[in-house]
Amino acid sequence: MSNKSNPPNGTPIKKRPAFWQIAAIAFFVLYMFLPIISTYMFSIATRWDRSILPEGYTLQSYVRAFQASYFTVTLRNSLILSISSVIVSLMIIVPTVYWVHTRLPRAKSLLEILMILPFGIPTVVLALALVRVYSLTPLSRSPVLLLGAVIVYSMPFMYRPVANALQAIDAHTLTEAGQSLGANTFRILMSIIVPNILPGILSGSLLVFATVFAEFTLTRLIVGASFKTFPLLLVEYTRINGNIAAAFSVISFTIAWLASILILRVGSKDHAAQTEAMQAR
Amino acid sequence: MAYLELKNVSKTFSGVVAVHEFSLDIEKGSLVSFLGPSGCGKTTTLRMIAGFEQPDGGTIELDGEDITTVPPNRRDIGMVFQAYALFPNMTVRENVAFGLKMKKLTKELVDKRVNEVLDMVRLQNTTRRFPHQLSGGQQQRIALARALAVQPRVLLLDEPLSALDAEVRVALRAEIRRIQSELAITTVYVTHDQAEALSISDRVVVMDKGIIQQVGSAIEIYRAPQNRFVATFIGTANQFFGKVGGQATVACEKLQLVTGPLSGFNNNQDVVVLVRPENIQVHAARPDKKGWNILEGVVETITFHGAVTRLGVHINDQQRVVADVTVANNEAVTLNKTVWLSFQPTACQVMANNT
Repeated sequence: MSNKSNPPNGTPIKKRPAFWQIAAIAFFVLYMFLPIISTYMFSIATRWDRSILPEGYTLQSYVRAFQASYFTVTLRNSLILSISSVIVSLMIIVPTVYWVHTRLPRAKSLLEILMILPFGIPTVVLALALVRVYSLTPLSRSPVLLLGAVIVYSMPFMYRPVANALQAIDAHTLTEAGQSLGANTFRILMSIIVPNILPGILSGSLLVFATVFAEFTLTRLIVGASFKTFPLLLVEYTRINGNIAAAFSVISFTIAWLASILILRVGSKDHAAQTEAMQAR
Repeated sequence: MAYLELKNVSKTFSGVVAVHEFSLDIEKGSLVSFLGPSGCGKTTTLRMIAGFEQPDGGTIELDGEDITTVPPNRRDIGMVFQAYALFPNMTVRENVAFGLKMKKLTKELVDKRVNEVLDMVRLQNTTRRFPHQLSGGQQQRIALARALAVQPRVLLLDEPLSALDAEVRVALRAEIRRIQSELAITTVYVTHDQAEALSISDRVVVMDKGIIQQVGSAIEIYRAPQNRFVATFIGTANQFFGKVGGQATVACEKLQLVTGPLSGFNNNQDVVVLVRPENIQVHAARPDKKGWNILEGVVETITFHGAVTRLGVHINDQQRVVADVTVANNEAVTLNKTVWLSFQPTACQVMANNT
């Protein structure tokens, strides 16, 4: 074994990051944030096609965005859709994954495959197939069908973090411990399992919320104008006025961020209580 | 009448027999250990008592009631797990109170009971901590307190000390025994550690391949093993294979052993003679002991065990014998030295050799 790369006693060698490391990180940061920053600037620009920076700044696009006829309706529809998908997929995924983990480990591989499927099927195919299959039912082109579709589509985003979190705790033994203390399955799930996999549940919820909030293809093809969501409005405005579309994008980011912060706050409440208890020792 | 009664309980996991026709009566207030190598079915049996596994056949009765199909949360049986299984999201107090809350006791009663059991395991000052802030030994004591808090009819312990280090293990097993006796709670203790089983149990159930090999007190199990498995699994035993050669002799390949009276054996029957190392004396010169078995050999290995030193003595090509020498009886023994081993005929346990 070479001793040069492994210093004794595990003391890390303090080394300045190499130039290429800094460059790589800088490139990554730019790559991630430049589009967001430019979208934001475009939303407050008066005119931005002849110069490097906008010629002037105005909040006019936001005023017009908020005044857009469908603004409130689409925002409401998007929130309804995203929040319902989070709730429904929580109700489906958490008990299912828990059940499979503790009682039916043989089904785990089947579940894994099921959870990869949505990635394998193009959304256009999924949407058109659903429209056809349900064409003769009352569900045809209804928001309920859309909800079902986006839940299927976003399920892996809920499944993965929840399954990982369950894997990390010894769910099986904790369940048995709960049972031996007289708790039924519902109590075990709510008082023992859920609190211990909360970080997974929260990141899953966040991912589902963000995915569904930004969902365009399924909405466009399944319900179209009858249940217009925020992304539909946004796309519509890219053809009318770029600045207003940019303002919509910024609003959309902001909502996603606010939702993230809110969810993380709720999630860290337990954590804070734990930290407090630790300090009280 | 037995308090906990297992009748012909069997369990098979995808074709592999885990427990076969297990029948056992456990008296109220006693501590019974299931002892055996891994895979012997001891944990499976325990899990069937707890209700986590359903037997394929047989019945389990507790206090006269058939509980074979009763779900685990309605059996009123407490369990302590090897991995502690404390709820990480709850403080020590909340963990211990969990079972009591399931019973819907008033807050005053819950508090009183929590304090009582924490007192019992001597961890009153940890109530506000979380499990991860406690040592392994403390966590297991909390797990014990949690299981005892609900005053279960039976307490099950599944290798509770296996994850702890040696010192804590010895201290905690004494503590478990103390609490068990104080509460006179019917307890089943699963372990693969014979020292643990022998030291704390009223009765030991030795298991192998899903079958009970012997049930008895620790002394019975050690001194009068009923078969070769028990004799070799519990403690160490030298084995001499041979044929019955007379009323009290067994003829082995190159030596003749004098044993106790061999009633119940046929002449020429294949038998195995078992002799425990602590019953063998080591001498630097041929001892003059009439009627004893005396073997000559060369010291091959010397292993220091603290209270005793274990010698590996080469008797002949096929046979190596281990003998324990205590400090008090310490002849100057060195490697490759010729020594004489002696043991009384009564030290020989003769068993039919079926394998």
